[in-house]
Amino acid sequence: MIRLNLVLLVAVVVSALYLVHMQFESRQLFVELEKAAAEARRLATEHDRLQVEKRAQATPLRVEKLARDQLKMRTTTPAITQYVPLPASRASEGAR
Amino acid sequence: MSRSVLYASSPLLASKAPVWRSKFIVAAMALAFLGLAGRAAYIQVFGNAFFQRQGEVRFARTLELPANRGRILDRNGLILASSVVAPSIWAIPEDIDRDPAKLQQLARLLSIPLAELNRKIQDEDKTFVWLKRQVDESVALEIAALGIKGVYQRKEYKRKYPEGEAAAHVVGFTNVENIGQEGVELAFDKDMAGRPGSRRVIKDRLGRVVEDVGEQVPPVDGRDVQLSIDSKVQFFAYQKLRDAVHSHKAKAGSVVVLDAVTGEVLALANYPSYQPEKRQNLSGEQLRNRAITDMFEPGSTMKPITVAAALEAGRVTPQTIIETGPGKYSIGGFTINDTHNYGALTVEGVVQKSSNIGSLKIAQRMSPREMWDVYTALGYGQKPQLQFPGAVPGRLRPWKTWRPVEQATMSYGYGLSASLFQMAHSYTAFAHDGRIIPTTMLKSADPAPGVKVFSPQNAAAVRKMLQMAAGPGGTGQKAQTVGYSVGGKSGTARKQIGKSYASNKYRAWFTGMAPIDHPRIVVAVMIDEPSAGQYYGGAVAAPVFSEVVQQTLRMMSVQPDMAVKPQIVVQAAEESF
Repeated sequence: MIRLNLVLLVAVVVSALYLVHMQFESRQLFVELEKAAAEARRLATEHDRLQVEKRAQATPLRVEKLARDQLKMRTTTPAITQYVPLPASRASEGAR
Repeated sequence: MSRSVLYASSPLLASKAPVWRSKFIVAAMALAFLGLAGRAAYIQVFGNAFFQRQGEVRFARTLELPANRGRILDRNGLILASSVVAPSIWAIPEDIDRDPAKLQQLARLLSIPLAELNRKIQDEDKTFVWLKRQVDESVALEIAALGIKGVYQRKEYKRKYPEGEAAAHVVGFTNVENIGQEGVELAFDKDMAGRPGSRRVIKDRLGRVVEDVGEQVPPVDGRDVQLSIDSKVQFFAYQKLRDAVHSHKAKAGSVVVLDAVTGEVLALANYPSYQPEKRQNLSGEQLRNRAITDMFEPGSTMKPITVAAALEAGRVTPQTIIETGPGKYSIGGFTINDTHNYGALTVEGVVQKSSNIGSLKIAQRMSPREMWDVYTALGYGQKPQLQFPGAVPGRLRPWKTWRPVEQATMSYGYGLSASLFQMAHSYTAFAHDGRIIPTTMLKSADPAPGVKVFSPQNAAAVRKMLQMAAGPGGTGQKAQTVGYSVGGKSGTARKQIGKSYASNKYRAWFTGMAPIDHPRIVVAVMIDEPSAGQYYGGAVAAPVFSEVVQQTLRMMSVQPDMAVKPQIVVQAAEESF
C-alpha cells in the first residue's frame, strides 16, 4: 500500500514539475511569436512607408522634369503620333 | 558508598502527565490545519474573484490595437494619401538628465531652438510634456540613440501626401489625431478611419507578453478610397493653371475636368494651393477649394443654356434671325450693351459672337418659369450631388420674383450665381446628348444614365454653336487644340464688390468640351482678377482650356478627330547608291 502511494506521489511531483516546465516553454514560445508578429507589423508599416516614398519619387512633376532635362524628351502631339486602329477582334475590348 | 543518580528511575519520569495535555496539542494542531483549510477554501472558492482580480491588476494589461487608416488612391491606384509611422517625442521633466550637450543635440534633432526645449521641460511638477509630435522615423531613431533619460517615444501615424499641392484641395488633410479635416479626408473619414481593436494579455516581470487572456477584438482597418481623379491630369491641370495665374498676374484660379461619359471628376485644381504636410501659416485664400465653394455670376457661359432652353421649347431654331442692332437695348430703366453692333445674327451667331442683346431677345420668347425650369434641371441653385464638404448651392431666385429686366440679365448670366463646378456640371447636358449626368468623386466604370433636359438634336445643335464660338470668328479661338475639335464658351464678368460692379476687377473663364461630336471630357477654367493687361475669358482662360484638353485626351488615348498634318515618316525611304 505504502509502496503504491509512494509511486503515485513521485508521479504527481514529476507531473507537476513537467506542467511548470511546459508552461514556461509555452510562454517562451509565445514571446517568440509576439516578437515575430511585431516584426511583421514593423515590416508592413515599413512597406507602406517605402511605397509612399516610391510614389513621392515618381510624381508627375519629377518625372516630367527628369524626362525633359536629363532625357531630353518632349511631349508628343497628334502630329507626331501614328494612330493604329485596333484589330476587329480586340476592338470590342478596347472600347470598354 | 557512592551515591549514584538513577536516571532511568527519575521521579520526573514516573510522574504521570495528564492525558488532556497531549489531547490539547493534537486539538491545537487540528485547529491550525482547519484554519489553513478554511483559508484555502476562502481563497479558492469564496474570495476567488477578488484574488483573481488583484492578480490581473498586477500582470494583465489591455493592449490597444490601432487600426490603419485607409489610403486614398487615384483612378489608376496611385497613392494620393497614406499613413506612415511618425513617433511622437514626450518627456517627464522631473526625470530628464540635464546634460547641456545632449539637450543641444536633442533640440537640433527636433529642429526647435534650445531655449524653447528648455522652456518645455522647465516645469518639474509636470509628469508629461510633448516635445514634438510626429517626427520622421529616422529622426526618432537618432533621438533614441542619444539615450537621454526621461525622454520617451510614442508610436503615432502621420499622413503623407505624395502629390503635394497639386491635389491638396481634393485630398484634403487630417489633423494630428488622424481625423479628417478637409477634402476627401473629411468626406470619407468614417470609411477610412477603421475601428481599433484590443486584446487582454499577461505580461511578465520584464514586460514581455506571455499569454493571451479573454477575448480579442481584432482591429478593423479603414477602407481604401479610390477616387475618380487621375493624378496625371490633376497635376497637369494644376501646373497649367499655376502658370496662367502667374503670367496674367491673377489672384487665383480653378480648373475642373469632368468625364463626359461617366460623370467622374478627373481633376479639380485650385491655385493658390498649399502643401498638405506643411500647414503652418495657412491662409483661407490657400485653403479654399474655389471650384466648389466660390460662387460667382456665370456671365456669358449661360448663353448656350438660354439658347438651348429656347430650342427645346421650340421658340427658335439655330437659324432664326435675331436683330441685335444697334448694340444697345433699354429695358426697365437699364441699358444693356454689346461690345460691338453685330446687326442681325442667327441664333448660332448670338452664341458665337456672345451677344448680350441677342440672348436677352431669345429669353424674351420664353416665360420666366420655362427658363427657371431648365436652369434648375441643370443644377443651378442646387447643391451639387458631390461627396465633398463645403459645396455651395449657388443662387437662383424663384421665377415668380423675376422682373423683366432680371429675366433679361439672367439670360446672359447676371443675377444668378454658381460655382465653377456647377458650370462644368451643367455643360455635361450638352456633352451627353441632352442628358445631365450625376458627378462623382469615386471611380466608376459604368456610363452614367443621366436625366434628360434637352433632346439629342438640340444638344448637338448647341455643341455646334460651341464649336463655332471656339472657332474662327468666335470669342474663344485660343481654345483650339491640335487634332481635337473643341467647343466652348468664354466668359468675362466684372466682379461684384459690395452692391456694385468693380470697374477694373474681372473674372475670366472658359467652359467647354472635346472632341465635339462625341465629347469625352468637359473642362471648365476660371481665372480670378487677371491684371496683366488681358482679362477676357477668351484670352486668359481659353489657352489653359486648350492645354488641359490636349493633354487629357492624349492621356485617355483618345484618337484625334481632326486631320493633322503628320510630321512622322512612316517608312524611311531607301537610299540609293
